[in-house]
Amino acid sequence: MAARNPGMKLDLEWVSKVRVNTQAVLKRAQHIQGQKIPKKQWQAAWLLKAVTCIDLTTLAGDDTPSNIHRLCLKAVQPIRYDLLKKMDMHNKGVTTAAVCVYPSRVGEAVITLKAANSSLPVASVATGFPAGQTPLETRLQEVRMAVAHGASEIDIVINRKLALAGQWEAMYDEIHQFREACGDAHMKTILAIGELGTFTNIYKASLVAMMAGSDFIKTSTGKEVVNATYPVAIVMVRAIRDYYLFTGQKVGFKPAGGIRTAQESLLWFTLIKEELGNDWLCPHLFRLGASSLLADIERQVGFQHIQYISIPYFPAYKYVSFNFFFFFYRSTIM
Amino acid sequence: MTLELYHNILGPYLNARYILYVNVIAQPSDYLKTLTTFMFFHSFWSPGVDVCSTVCAVEDDISQCASSALNGFKAWSVLSCYQRAKVLLRLVSVLGQHGQCVSELCELCGASCSSSTLIRQLQYYSSWAQLRDTLITNWTPLGVVAVVVSDDCSLYSLMLKVLPALAMGNSVIIVPGLNTAPPALLLAQLFIGAGLPAGALNVLTGSDMSLCAKVAQNPNISHVTYSGNKQDGVMLCKATAGMGVPLSVSPCIGATCPFIIFESADIDSAVDEVIETAFKKKREVHWVLCVQESIVDSVVTRLKLRMAGMKCVALRSDGDRVLVDAAIQEAQQQGATLIQPCSVPPSGAQYPPTVLCGAAPSSPFVVCPAPGPLLPLMTFRTHTEGVTIGNHTPHGQAASIWTEDLTLALETARSLSVGSVWVNSHSVSDPCMPVSGHKDSGTCTDGGQEGLYQFLRLRSSPPPLPRSSPVSMDYSNFGTAACPAIIPDDSDPASAPKPYPQFVGGKACKSVSGCSLAVQSPGGSGVLAYCPDGGKKDVRNAVEAAIKVQPGWMKKSPSARAQSLYSLAKGLEAKRRDIAASINVQTGLSMDEAEKEVELGIARLSDWAAYCDKVQGGALPMPQSGSALSFPEALGVLGVVLPDKNPLLSMVTLLGAAIATGNAVVMVPCQKYPLPALAFIQVLQSSDLPAGLVNIISGGRDQMTVALANHSVIKAIWYWGSAEGCQYLQHTCTSPLKTLRLFCQKDEEGKDEGKDWTQSHPSFMEEMWRNAVQWKSVWIPTA
Repeated sequence: MAARNPGMKLDLEWVSKVRVNTQAVLKRAQHIQGQKIPKKQWQAAWLLKAVTCIDLTTLAGDDTPSNIHRLCLKAVQPIRYDLLKKMDMHNKGVTTAAVCVYPSRVGEAVITLKAANSSLPVASVATGFPAGQTPLETRLQEVRMAVAHGASEIDIVINRKLALAGQWEAMYDEIHQFREACGDAHMKTILAIGELGTFTNIYKASLVAMMAGSDFIKTSTGKEVVNATYPVAIVMVRAIRDYYLFTGQKVGFKPAGGIRTAQESLLWFTLIKEELGNDWLCPHLFRLGASSLLADIERQVGFQHIQYISIPYFPAYKYVSFNFFFFFYRSTIM
Repeated sequence: MTLELYHNILGPYLNARYILYVNVIAQPSDYLKTLTTFMFFHSFWSPGVDVCSTVCAVEDDISQCASSALNGFKAWSVLSCYQRAKVLLRLVSVLGQHGQCVSELCELCGASCSSSTLIRQLQYYSSWAQLRDTLITNWTPLGVVAVVVSDDCSLYSLMLKVLPALAMGNSVIIVPGLNTAPPALLLAQLFIGAGLPAGALNVLTGSDMSLCAKVAQNPNISHVTYSGNKQDGVMLCKATAGMGVPLSVSPCIGATCPFIIFESADIDSAVDEVIETAFKKKREVHWVLCVQESIVDSVVTRLKLRMAGMKCVALRSDGDRVLVDAAIQEAQQQGATLIQPCSVPPSGAQYPPTVLCGAAPSSPFVVCPAPGPLLPLMTFRTHTEGVTIGNHTPHGQAASIWTEDLTLALETARSLSVGSVWVNSHSVSDPCMPVSGHKDSGTCTDGGQEGLYQFLRLRSSPPPLPRSSPVSMDYSNFGTAACPAIIPDDSDPASAPKPYPQFVGGKACKSVSGCSLAVQSPGGSGVLAYCPDGGKKDVRNAVEAAIKVQPGWMKKSPSARAQSLYSLAKGLEAKRRDIAASINVQTGLSMDEAEKEVELGIARLSDWAAYCDKVQGGALPMPQSGSALSFPEALGVLGVVLPDKNPLLSMVTLLGAAIATGNAVVMVPCQKYPLPALAFIQVLQSSDLPAGLVNIISGGRDQMTVALANHSVIKAIWYWGSAEGCQYLQHTCTSPLKTLRLFCQKDEEGKDEGKDWTQSHPSFMEEMWRNAVQWKSVWIPTA
């Protein structure tokens, strides 16, 4: 993996200067949603790329060793072998980017993956996920235990109280402590954008999280009312760009929650490509937090493939009334 | 029939030249006759591929078209408002079926316009068609309106002229440009299908602007309106001068518009949007990026980052490439640095998007922008400086400003002299927004209720100009004839005629030249008085004084302006005997009648005082969410050549209209009866109007007309005078464009014709103040 974001001192002046115009961001989001997404074999390629960026997630109260086991094996072999073989991708090591589970399930996931001979990282949510409303000491302890059980990526949630009150220093300190507790494990900071109020606040929270040394910033827990939306993503990736311009550090981005279809995943790639450029289109800088997305991508890849080999490309004619022209064309040559 | 069929038929001929389209004139019999005259072929799309060809109309077509339009007008204007609205609405549903076809044709012809914007226009104007007689009483359609657009004009701008004209009950002849010809023909066809009477909408295609002059020449045309680039507009002004047909011009293409980013802006969004709009292949305006100095570094880094990976933009021709290369070379010689995403291809009609850092308002590439994807970047220090730089261009089309600070946004929006201000957005247009190009960007208002008056006239007043054919005149010689020298007859000092002063910059004074004119008494029997013989220098002094006080006068609260006008009325009342006496000796009117006129003048001034806070803008009903505001703004300095009829009453009416709305005014008393106006100077002197706001300069009418016409600061001229004078003004007032209100009065019979100045109907006053303001729309997108 590439160099980690070492973080920097909290620059409150930078944070205070942030302005975001909601309507302009919404317009930009609309513009991106209106972009053409790739078709045919290119779409298949992008979908496979999307698979490699997925953090395959299960975060439910009824998680047991058996479904964690299934999840891990699915993460190792995300697309049916025969489909991959037809595309000549069977030996390219197509796996998801990681599996993401609750801290108590980390041990089981690690064992399963080891048994399957896979080096796939296990990500664990921590710090009182999803609300973050537990004492700091227990939250820190949670991080340490998850790391001790073998998690190599930790998804922490920020303390929304501090962000909403504008106590950026306190928030910076907390995230900084989490980062220390993570040790070598990569830290993804969940901003819970659905509960931050304004785009300006989201931008500020992103900046503070990156200054405190987050390796990724992540939109939401998937448990809030509003989850990953394109306008919010634009705000966050702009903060990432800003941080990159200032420090030269590339911080990753992880939208999570509500991403269910293959089409959506393609739009996410379009957005990242448009806003951050090609550098960010890889698993160590871009992740999709999702649980049901993989099934849809697999279906689409299968469908794509069948369509691709059985029906030759045939341009679709647009049927439009043009009798007016026809009439005059005829009348003039007569 | 389908596009597939269209391909089948046309496919083999795609590279060949063929006639797809011919000139269409809707005949009274509702039969669309095709007239194949001689052909001109135009390449519509990319070089080498002709989309279709149009025919050039000749004289016969024009006269046939004009008479069919006249019949169309008769059939269309007798319909009820409801019926007219229904036709427009029916077209909406027709567009629902054929919208795809229209937008694809527009796309092919390079005049892209989505069918949803057309539908929005139709819906907006159908509601005005429905309510014309309810909300706009006492106004009547003009007759046959010719809508002319230049080759590069969009279909949206074309329809922004056509639809209000139709909605108000006029019939329309469209003279489209190359790009808009096929879609206009198609829309005309669809309109007929929607139930528009034959002849109410006609399309005449041609190869250049000479066709428009020929159309305007036709006596059936009552009004010509133009939209497009400046050069063709000027050409049209000169070509139609003296034809006795009013012309309104909206040169919406090719204006220089500022894109101002303040330090309180969302910089990321601003940079994204400026990249999106400035480097488009088909741009209607030239953007100039103005950035506050404190954030210029972060704007430049973001520009570099966001432009990386952009590809070359196609230019229109290899000739444009030469211009772009020359502009870049010149800019670099002057020390400008370039931001380009890729290297410049050695040749060919394409160029990479380029930001020219280090531009100044005086840089040649800012003053005369080259036709390519070039974006000059200037810096400013303070908010006021930002506004000054934004206002520096001769154009006043539009501006985009970026700040999250509401106060700053509104203040800047008010101080920029442009027709549209887009806050935190750009290029938003909607038919409900009234927009007048300020400065050199137009002589009329388009959009909104305000834009409808372009196609209406007062029921009570006759058309202002009689139709005539232009006389061949030497424009450089106009108004240079020397006035007869005066040999004062000083034999009897007691009865010697009194010399009157003129009024410039708040002071009563002699003319700069020192010469005087003799004022004849009504019977022509002797000299009544001497008035100064003003000229160019007097006008210059007056305008200099006027522009100093006009902004302050405009910013005054409406009630303060009203107070000043009330006190002016009071001053007139105090001097009523003197003024009445001057009318009496000058016009030969009886003392009673003269006093009655003064009485009316006092009432008129009080009316205008009351109007001061009634001329107002408002919030506009935009379809998107946000706040759209419209503001009436003063034109600036007005030149008025006063009419002969009711010399005092007409003067106070025009004076009141001008200053109640915030303008300064330079008035020229009518040559025949100057005394009442000169006597009025003593009233002005004792008033509390700022010195220089009202100036009265007497002199030979033609001579003064020339002086007003050639002063570049004067934004509008209201003229009562000879047909030659009208022709001279139409021909001369083109750069910068002046808003002209011309009234041709016969030299001898001034009394029974023209406006009835004694009327005080609300719409009479409304026409006056509408002529004295220009409109600005401000758009602030919010949730």
